[in-house]
Amino acid sequence: MSGFAVDPCDKCEEVLQPFLDRDLNEEERALAEEHLSLCEYCRKRYRFEEDLRRFVRQAATEEMPPELKTKLAELRTPLV
Amino acid sequence: MRGSPAPLELEKNVARVAAVGETAPETEARRLAEDARDRVRFEEEALELADQVYRVARRMVSSREEAEDLMQETYARAFRSWKSFQPGTNLRAWLLRILTNLNIDRGRRVQRAPDMQPLEEGDYFLYNKLEESTQAPNPDEEQVIERLSQDDAVLALSAVPHDFRDVIVLVDLGDFSYNDAAQILDIPVGTVMSRLHRGRRILKRELAERALVNGGDSE
Repeated sequence: MSGFAVDPCDKCEEVLQPFLDRDLNEEERALAEEHLSLCEYCRKRYRFEEDLRRFVRQAATEEMPPELKTKLAELRTPLV
Repeated sequence: MRGSPAPLELEKNVARVAAVGETAPETEARRLAEDARDRVRFEEEALELADQVYRVARRMVSSREEAEDLMQETYARAFRSWKSFQPGTNLRAWLLRILTNLNIDRGRRVQRAPDMQPLEEGDYFLYNKLEESTQAPNPDEEQVIERLSQDDAVLALSAVPHDFRDVIVLVDLGDFSYNDAAQILDIPVGTVMSRLHRGRRILKRELAERALVNGGDSE
């Protein structure tokens, strides 16, 4: 069983973000990993969160129009 | 001998003439050449980062036109004030600090107090909602994420209030550390963390709303 004092899935949900951001201390991280190794319910949701971040990042990425790069280069100080 | 300077005095005068009359222009020319070289290097490095800066800028404002204007203003200012950049520090963060300040200064966004209403939804909220809406009895996470469309993701992100969205864009899209995001936005690191946490939850709520509406239409 997990070492979490409260409902382990509630606690696991609470540390989802800091876990993925690598913002937990060693002890908290070990507890979360122990719970994740035993609990498919939380494991699925953690993997989903990782996929979600990648998905949003990919969806929201819009490449810079090439003509803008030309305009920016034209802003450079002319060499005298 | 009358009026002639003593040998020691003569040596001093020659040295003074050499320093002022001959080496000073050379020193000045060298300084100008070094300045020009440093400026060109700075401008090249800044331009190499333009794609990455644009990706962040694009999601901080609502339209491509706004993002393009903001980029041009940012680079014009950066090129003018290149000497205030400290070599060896994070140039991408420096450029985004300029961009963020310009975005605020020009009133392109309405400053508002962060929405601090409690959010009832937890971090599993989106998954649970999407899982409920799938037809499969025990879907895996890939089946669940397929409930989302890329357009929904863009719209959901744009629906997140600016204060929260800026942090999400810097950290999750721009790969900035909490510290860099704090410096760019001129807010404490703790505020970055709390806005990020809350902003991601708001984003998930927006995603859930869109996905459930679209799911309902398609079934």
